[in-house]
Amino acid sequence: MTTLTRQDLNFGQVVADILCEFLEVAIHLILYVREVYPSGIFQKRKKYNVPVQMSCHPELNQYIQDTLHCIKPLIEKNDAEKVVVVIMDKEHHPVERFVFEISQPPLLSISAETLLSHVEQLLRAFILKISVCDAVLNNNPPGCSFTVLVHTREAATRNMEKVQVIKDFPWIVADEQEVHMKEPRLIPLKSMTSDIVKMQLYVEERAQKT
Amino acid sequence: MDELYLDNIDEYVNDHNKIVTYKWLSLTLGVHVNTAKQMLYHYLEHKRKESSPQLHATYLVSGKSVDNGQTCHKVSVVREEQLEDFKSKMTLVVSIHVYSVQKALLRDSGPLYSVDYDAVKDNLKNCSRYSSIRCASAVPMSSVELRQAREKEQAPTSVPENKKPAVNGGASVASKPSAKAPKGIMGMLSFKSTSKNQDGSKDIKPEQKEVAPTDPPKSKPAAKTNPMANFFGSQTSEYDQTMISSPLRSTEGGVMWKVVNFKTKRIEESDSEEEKMEKKKRRRIKRPEPDSSDEDVIPDSPQPLETKDPSPKKEVEAAQLSHGNSETKVRKRRRVLKSHVFLDDEGCMVTEKGYESESYSETEDDFQPSKQPRDNFKAKLPSSSKENEKKSQKRSSASSQKGTKQASITGFFQKK
Repeated sequence: MTTLTRQDLNFGQVVADILCEFLEVAIHLILYVREVYPSGIFQKRKKYNVPVQMSCHPELNQYIQDTLHCIKPLIEKNDAEKVVVVIMDKEHHPVERFVFEISQPPLLSISAETLLSHVEQLLRAFILKISVCDAVLNNNPPGCSFTVLVHTREAATRNMEKVQVIKDFPWIVADEQEVHMKEPRLIPLKSMTSDIVKMQLYVEERAQKT
Repeated sequence: MDELYLDNIDEYVNDHNKIVTYKWLSLTLGVHVNTAKQMLYHYLEHKRKESSPQLHATYLVSGKSVDNGQTCHKVSVVREEQLEDFKSKMTLVVSIHVYSVQKALLRDSGPLYSVDYDAVKDNLKNCSRYSSIRCASAVPMSSVELRQAREKEQAPTSVPENKKPAVNGGASVASKPSAKAPKGIMGMLSFKSTSKNQDGSKDIKPEQKEVAPTDPPKSKPAAKTNPMANFFGSQTSEYDQTMISSPLRSTEGGVMWKVVNFKTKRIEESDSEEEKMEKKKRRRIKRPEPDSSDEDVIPDSPQPLETKDPSPKKEVEAAQLSHGNSETKVRKRRRVLKSHVFLDDEGCMVTEKGYESESYSETEDDFQPSKQPRDNFKAKLPSSSKENEKKSQKRSSASSQKGTKQASITGFFQKK
């Protein structure tokens, strides 16, 4: 058993890599399951040894990748508290919010052997839960769009605004109306605890969607 | 008691919002698959009568159908809505049963696989305990039989090699691979072996004995893809030949191969080019028996090898969330002569020289502290090998980027 601290940047990078990979898959899957985009653009791919649906549309993929590329440094430093995928209707009022709450323990103790396969198993369970989430959610109105919000701790966003991680991909402070939802219903989906990260996924859904 | 399973299924489906497949149910409740199928069927009927919240089901249909004039046997998983339609298209329906029950409307079949994946993985050794698919003659081979089977495979390949000239060369390339080529071979490791390197400093005879019990390198698939494998092919011919005839001075780099089929066998490469340069006139130490026992266990799945000595599990990485390190064709293993100094029972310092296999990459620059733990075949050093195992696995999980070019002897003495 080793004990690494947060200062061990290598390790922070590993965790950030794993989480960003997972978030990319999760976002694609949410878009597929909630029918934000027509299912024709999705294609079956393999991740964590199970089939998942990923989009083939290059601009969409680029957008998601750029988003996660900017989020990665926040996760590395454990500044990201929540990553939220918001689905909005035509008037840009949120109808659903998929919230990934992420926390990383400051002092990490790793037991090497089981770590990665265990984490993979937990992430697989998340993927599975997202696939069946439409059983507990009401249908969305047509013409929805999505966006990704990041809730950070403390002053991390100020740094982000100063330093553009990717050119022409600015992050702005979210509007009040995008962040808050009227009469939200909370539906927990999945939570996981592992040595390297704790994550919780729940959905906030607007009571009246149409 | 009979109705208890209905409650169980109800809990899984409605409360946990799970997808309940018959396979998952049989493994979870510990019942035969046919029982599980019937349970699901009764549950569905029960629920449909009660008109409770909507449930969706998928069915497995198998039977004969005619496709473009050809009759074929089809096995499909279909949604309930499409069931009747599908049945009508088939000429003969052999079996229909419930495949899964879930609350969610599944848009694609991916989650069905995911559900079974973890359940099967947890019960890997006895995943067919409740299954009704049986084959009486499908029994795992004993180690004796395994060895015999390998020798049999070796024998036919060595016969054609007799005809080839003793000197290697790119000459007899593709002919070798005509021997059996198991699928999914990985890590065809050959990095040279041209007739130019007639160093001839080593006596490779003892090595032949190692080659004998192993499979002939099956470079057939590799020959198509990897030009390096051509050397590989020619090389083995030579080895095989020298086994039969008199021992030859090593012409090639004295590289020793054992084929690694990732699923079934392992490759270990011995003696790199550099090693040869370092120690010119050196006799190979014959590899002791314990190693052959390592090969005898052929896991069909990413399971740890069971070996006599505490050598680390090589197949662990298959289950790891690694980025296909073992899949890359660039990584190689080589046997490096290392000497280990330790205190034996009487408190005397003992130096033992032995071969350790380590992995390195072709470029040597990106040598990673390998995710494949080193193979310490000296059974006398259990503690050190465990340390190695812990250390290399610890390193692999931390994925540290220290790339030491060469695992030196001092590297063996782990910092505690």
